[in-house]
Amino acid sequence: MLHGGHLLSVLIFFPAAGALALMMLRGDDHKYIRYIVLIVSAAEFFFSLLMLRYVRVGDTGYRLEEFAHWINQPPINYHLGVDGISIFLVILTTFLTPISVLASWKSIEHRVKEFFVMLLMLEVGGVGVFLSLDLFLFFLFWEVMLIPMALLIGIWGHERRVYAAVKFILYTMAGSIFMLVGIIWLYNATNTFDLPTIQNMLATGLLALSPRTEMLLFLAFFVAFAIKVPLFPLHTWLPDAHVEAPTAGSVMLAGVLLKMGTYGMIRFCLPLFPGASHRAARWVALLAIIGIIYGALVAMVQPNLKKLVAYSSVSHLGFVVLGIFAFHNISMQGAVYQMLAHGVSTGALFLLVGMLYDRRHTFEISEYGGLATPMPKLAAFFLFVALSSLGLPMLNGFVGEYLILLGTYQRHWQWASWAALGVILSACYLLWSYQRVFFGEITKEKNRTLPDASAREKWILITMAVVTLWMGIGSVFITRRTAADSQAVIDQVEPQRPYEAAAPVRPGQQAARVAPGVASADSPERSGTR
Amino acid sequence: MLEYLWIVQLLPLLGSAINGLFGAKWANKTVNWVALGSTGLSFACALEAVREFFESGQVLFRKEFFTWITAGNFRAGFDLQMDQLTVVMVLVVTGVGWLIHIYATGYMAHEGGYYRFFSYLNLFMFFMLILVLAANYLLLFVGWEGVGLCSYLLIGFYFLRKSASDAGKKAFIVNRIGDFGFMLGMFLLFRTFRTLDFTALFQAASNPSWGPESWGQFGTFTVACLLLFMGACGKSAQLPLYVWLPDAMEGPTPVSALIHAATMVTAGVYVVARSHVLFTHSETALVVVAIVGCATAFFAATIGLVQTDIKKVLAYSTVSQLGYMFLACGVGAFSAGIFHLLTHAFFKALLFLAAGSVIHAMGGEQDMRHMGGLSKKIKYTYVTMLIATLAIAGIPPLAGFFSKDAILLSAFQIPGGHPLYALGLLTVLLTSFYMFRLIFLTFHGKPRYDEHKVHVHESPWSMLGPLVALAVLSVIGGWVAAPALWGGPDYFANFLTPVFGSHEGAEVLSEAAAHSFELTLAVVAVVSALLGLANAYWLYLKRPEKAEGLAKSMKGVYTTLLNKYYVDELYVATIVKPLLWISTNVLWKTADVAAIDGAVNGLADGITAVGDRTRHTQSGNTRSYAVWVVIGALVLIAVIFLWPGAGKPVLGWVR
Amino acid sequence: MNSAIPTIADFYRVLPELLWCGFGLLAMFLQPFVRNRHFFTALAFIGALAGMAGSFLSFRNPGAGFYGLIQADAFSFFFHLLVGTVAVLVVLAAGPYLDRERLPFAEFYALLLFATAGMGVLASAQELLTAFIGLEMSSISSYILAGYRRDALKSGESAMKYFLLGSFATAFFLYGIALVYGATGTTRLDMMVDADPSGTLLKLGLSMILIGLGFKVAAAPFQIWTPDVYEGAPTPVTALFSAGPKAAAFALLLRIFATVPAATHFWFWAFWILAVLTMFAGNLGALVQTNIKRLLAYSSIAHAGYILVAFAAVTSMAKGGRAEAAVAYAAVLFYLLSYALVKLGAFTIVSQLGGAGEKNLSLDDYAGLSQRQPIVAAMLSIYLLSLLGLPVTAGFFGKFYIFKAAVNSHLLWLAVLMAINSIIGAYYYLRVIVLMYMREPSAESAAAAPVGFPLTVNVVLAVTAIGTILFGLMPNPVINFILQPTLFGH
Repeated sequence: MLHGGHLLSVLIFFPAAGALALMMLRGDDHKYIRYIVLIVSAAEFFFSLLMLRYVRVGDTGYRLEEFAHWINQPPINYHLGVDGISIFLVILTTFLTPISVLASWKSIEHRVKEFFVMLLMLEVGGVGVFLSLDLFLFFLFWEVMLIPMALLIGIWGHERRVYAAVKFILYTMAGSIFMLVGIIWLYNATNTFDLPTIQNMLATGLLALSPRTEMLLFLAFFVAFAIKVPLFPLHTWLPDAHVEAPTAGSVMLAGVLLKMGTYGMIRFCLPLFPGASHRAARWVALLAIIGIIYGALVAMVQPNLKKLVAYSSVSHLGFVVLGIFAFHNISMQGAVYQMLAHGVSTGALFLLVGMLYDRRHTFEISEYGGLATPMPKLAAFFLFVALSSLGLPMLNGFVGEYLILLGTYQRHWQWASWAALGVILSACYLLWSYQRVFFGEITKEKNRTLPDASAREKWILITMAVVTLWMGIGSVFITRRTAADSQAVIDQVEPQRPYEAAAPVRPGQQAARVAPGVASADSPERSGTR
Repeated sequence: MLEYLWIVQLLPLLGSAINGLFGAKWANKTVNWVALGSTGLSFACALEAVREFFESGQVLFRKEFFTWITAGNFRAGFDLQMDQLTVVMVLVVTGVGWLIHIYATGYMAHEGGYYRFFSYLNLFMFFMLILVLAANYLLLFVGWEGVGLCSYLLIGFYFLRKSASDAGKKAFIVNRIGDFGFMLGMFLLFRTFRTLDFTALFQAASNPSWGPESWGQFGTFTVACLLLFMGACGKSAQLPLYVWLPDAMEGPTPVSALIHAATMVTAGVYVVARSHVLFTHSETALVVVAIVGCATAFFAATIGLVQTDIKKVLAYSTVSQLGYMFLACGVGAFSAGIFHLLTHAFFKALLFLAAGSVIHAMGGEQDMRHMGGLSKKIKYTYVTMLIATLAIAGIPPLAGFFSKDAILLSAFQIPGGHPLYALGLLTVLLTSFYMFRLIFLTFHGKPRYDEHKVHVHESPWSMLGPLVALAVLSVIGGWVAAPALWGGPDYFANFLTPVFGSHEGAEVLSEAAAHSFELTLAVVAVVSALLGLANAYWLYLKRPEKAEGLAKSMKGVYTTLLNKYYVDELYVATIVKPLLWISTNVLWKTADVAAIDGAVNGLADGITAVGDRTRHTQSGNTRSYAVWVVIGALVLIAVIFLWPGAGKPVLGWVR
Repeated sequence: MNSAIPTIADFYRVLPELLWCGFGLLAMFLQPFVRNRHFFTALAFIGALAGMAGSFLSFRNPGAGFYGLIQADAFSFFFHLLVGTVAVLVVLAAGPYLDRERLPFAEFYALLLFATAGMGVLASAQELLTAFIGLEMSSISSYILAGYRRDALKSGESAMKYFLLGSFATAFFLYGIALVYGATGTTRLDMMVDADPSGTLLKLGLSMILIGLGFKVAAAPFQIWTPDVYEGAPTPVTALFSAGPKAAAFALLLRIFATVPAATHFWFWAFWILAVLTMFAGNLGALVQTNIKRLLAYSSIAHAGYILVAFAAVTSMAKGGRAEAAVAYAAVLFYLLSYALVKLGAFTIVSQLGGAGEKNLSLDDYAGLSQRQPIVAAMLSIYLLSLLGLPVTAGFFGKFYIFKAAVNSHLLWLAVLMAINSIIGAYYYLRVIVLMYMREPSAESAAAAPVGFPLTVNVVLAVTAIGTILFGLMPNPVINFILQPTLFGH
């Protein structure tokens, strides 16, 4: 095992140091500030890539662990570690930050210094959340992240920014405060906040929660995560937050914050409360499926382009949650992949919407139309991203969606069948909005003279497009690294998996396979006369 | 070359990329070089690969190039395979595709976005080749979706026209509906067989322990096949998902020829044929395929009768001909289906290109009511189109005759196939009727256009060349099957035997019977075709007024047909509009904004209101404060004394 | 312990109080001769520090002093340091204020030191009458301080109310002592160990004491006076009120209900209800305030509620184990510390920004503060976030430990109610932050020159802010100290 020194600590504190240095700086030289932030965030990105050397294909468990005692009463430790799942989420975070910096290059004009400080703090929080192995530490980053995000929305946002910011922060806090109670309760049962230790106790049976307790704890965590995701009935903060946030804010929100929810489910809900997860699974899946279809339908009829993208996130994240709660390693890997893919493609969508906004200062679809004529390049990129987001094969969106549905189908064909409707609907809302924005004759005179993508914008978009394409074709690079650890999660959530048979199954075995109730309800063979 | 099969696909992709990225600044000539060069080369490579394939004499060539997706026990690779079926498809795609490219250079010469067009067209070639060369369902699905994308782009090529972008969107979404089924089909197959690779999957499926599923029995195979067929219906424009294809005529004519006649729309047939191992397991699936195909064939033909837009007629005829192919697959005559796919590729591509040439000549006019008497002015176009018409009508000895005959024969021979056969036969009549109606309206009779305004001119050779080539193919294309008529071997069927084995309906009867039989059936078919011809001649050349009269006398039927049975309107009224309305008013405005968000904000406001109340206890009056304190004290003491056994179970739940 | 003559150690044990009183008297004597405000500030500053230094000596000599009237132990040490710190910071913060409002300074500092001494007595008293003396010392000086802005109507009103209601509560307290004495025959807490817990007299007496102290800590329904008094009193005094007397009263309450086993029996529900009422009264009331001082007043009620949750945990019978109790004590102590720092800082800023005559107290005056005075805004945000209980602030750990105490004793519902309250609380704290950062300043406030912050005030802010962050990052030293098993000397 190589030794990465304190790589993870570096990843967490390097942007923080950058932010501090920035605060020292005089605030009036904007160009200077922008370049510094860009360099810092870019460097951070390359640091994060170093992790790949230590997270090698096949081996599971936490790598690059760092452990230091922090508070001894109760024992709270500074415990970091990365595994095949979190590594890519960290990289996603560090990748989106420089992109957001570039995206705000021109559009942020007042209180520039503060803006970039907030952006870096946001990165710190995100990286911290994905790397913490101590429940308390996790919660700490989880909470700390709220403030910069809220300020990003509230200071640099649009018309109803204050409402959106306050709504965002209260919604999230409402969830997380109960998670805190849950964490403390769990501590009471285990006398530790250390995630690996608790997992170990569960594995060895040292910790056995009563069903009721387990369910309550599960809910305490799950609700916090579900709000962040956001899962269907808890999603109403998202459209407001997205619409009001500045472009960079939306990118980070969609790319990083939403993933914290789904990541939490994978990292905490399933491994720590397998029983409760099982009992809750069907309801969670129900909400997820509702979210998929509902989000898509509502997105379809949005007159506001950014709201449309926001609701599409609700739909896409529904897939992720479904994939997680199908307890199948294919769908689990799909979920992880979809998290990354959504981060990139929806991030790109927000960037493009932001670019349109920079030109016309409106999100109303009706204000646009026929833009393909004045700005063919932007139109091409937008189409490309839209296609990736509606899951066109060979682009990133497809891999995740497909694996999720495939895996889910293996266990609950009804769930997958319903969820697959989202595939149709996503095509509907994306292509329809695309047509209304870019196709046809120009309707508004203002649009006739809009400039096409500038060099800066082009480079942002090319980067995103390349990543999108690479993730669509070279998915193996990622899935091979996520495989072992998502399998580990599955093993923790259910040790025996009777439905997993390697060889093709003969009708004879069919019966045997159906038996243990796992596949009973969901094998199509039974829907017939057999 | 066989070892580097991927080059065949990569070339068009390169062409597309180069043109797409740099073509904007280039002259049309340069773009041509790239586009034609790449496709032509890939045609050559394909030929070479095919040669090596036969040289090596293997039944199936399969090579895994790289792993694309893997998760758990699921693996899907970029794996290509080649067998006889693939050979047919690859040659059709590259060959016909190349011809159409050449044609397009002439046809699109004066259009804007020239480079864009060829970039899309090459991209289409790339995906289509992936589709036909794929060695597993997922990679096939890649091509499947990819061609859908290209068709979206090319139909909406004139994106300034709303009708065009609408049509493109419609095509993509309707296809997606089909893909929904296709995906579920794949999931079910993987769930059952733990693989999506054709070889492994079919081998597992042909394991005897899987009994056949008789009629009405919905086992794995039936469900899977029906789901796959749903996808095929979307792609190949079968009932009830055919609606997008007629609108697709918004695209440039070469596109209609390549994508919406020769290649893409036949992908559905290809998939069914490719999955014949599964389909033959399930009687239900086969019957459904046959019925849907047959019904579509007839249904579309009836609509074709009255269309006045020359391309619309061809579009519906395409739908109808695809129906034939599915009918063939449905009755188990997969090779016959593929055969018709082949010949259809020739003559339908030709028809479209010729129609394009006509439109070109008429300066963009597409309505046949404003044509007529063109035969003198554009001879080449006329002759080639006539050949194609004879071919599609099924007049011997042209290609269409043989393929269609094979289908009808197999339909007749399967038990209970007579209704199918009858309907198919009727459709033959209708086909030849509307096709000749097209010919007569366009090329014969008096010119019905303003000869001073429209200067009819023959198209350049870049366009005529492909016409001639395709005309030749439409003539000779079917002869490989000719010997079958007089009892000889059906070379085409034999050629495909390694793929389809003996899943053929033709083997039911004894040689002699079969042979006499075939002749009679063939004669019947030809007769009905001629009948259609005669009717068309009589109605549209001899007594044009009769046509009007007929239309008037049966107004109801006529308008219904003219409006395509109002299917589009039906879909809009029953699906699109309600969905939008519900999404807007119920889901968004009511559920989201009013209910959920209302509840959230309402809660907040409620709490604030309570806070406002509590503030009023702060009267500022010291006496009332004192009272408060006293009351509070009493309450507290009361609690301490009167509380039922402090913290005993009575309220124990609170803790 | 029963020796007739007080030993020198006894005097060490009350050294802090002695020093504070001494310097207070000194200030009064010198008042006619010295006209320099800075002199008295320095004097009071030294005096307060001297008291804190003295508390180390008293901690060196643990045990009961003066025949068990007082108890010098870790607990009293902690509170001596706490109230001492409060005194020091108020001394520093009040100086510029007194100049600005042209108020006599000598008396102010004297009273401040007397009040501090009283709090010290409360913290170390182990005998109820001693406690009563301490209570009166701090209260009476508080009454006067509340009305210190003679010319301001509000100030007088506030003093009046405080005095009337305060003496009302003191009466309760006194009756309570009498009844307890009647029931147990002693007023020494450590002698009540074997009293019959369910004896009516004892229960009645203790509940009276609870009422008296409940008034001091502003627990609903006895919180009623708080907003008016806090609003009317001079802001530095408000800072003192919210930090000092509250802490001292809680200290006594804790000592009573921790050392007298008899008392730790029937009281769970009393505290449960007090806590819930107080939390809601505070938070709901604060929601609709438009005056920053009133808002902070209500918030201090709410926080009293949170602390009472820990008391419910102490007295809950769910486990009642020593360890759980210790956790709860620690929670209270840590919370009081973090809370005192934050409130001092916040009120100091308010008193500076209030301007001459405390005119600018409405929330709107804080709109766009981040643009006019970014550093001040940042400081105030730190305090508010700490009150809100966000990580890396002391307030977070305070809340965390209280949650932990509640969960330890299986008071889940109480924990949930507290959680709900902290969300409501978050709303109005955020409102201020939103105003400061997300709103544009009003025309005149933008035009006005930024308010100057004198050195002493800056020191206060620095200490409180750094303390808030420091205890938020590494609470170890404090926690280790207050979690020691011999917190109460026995």
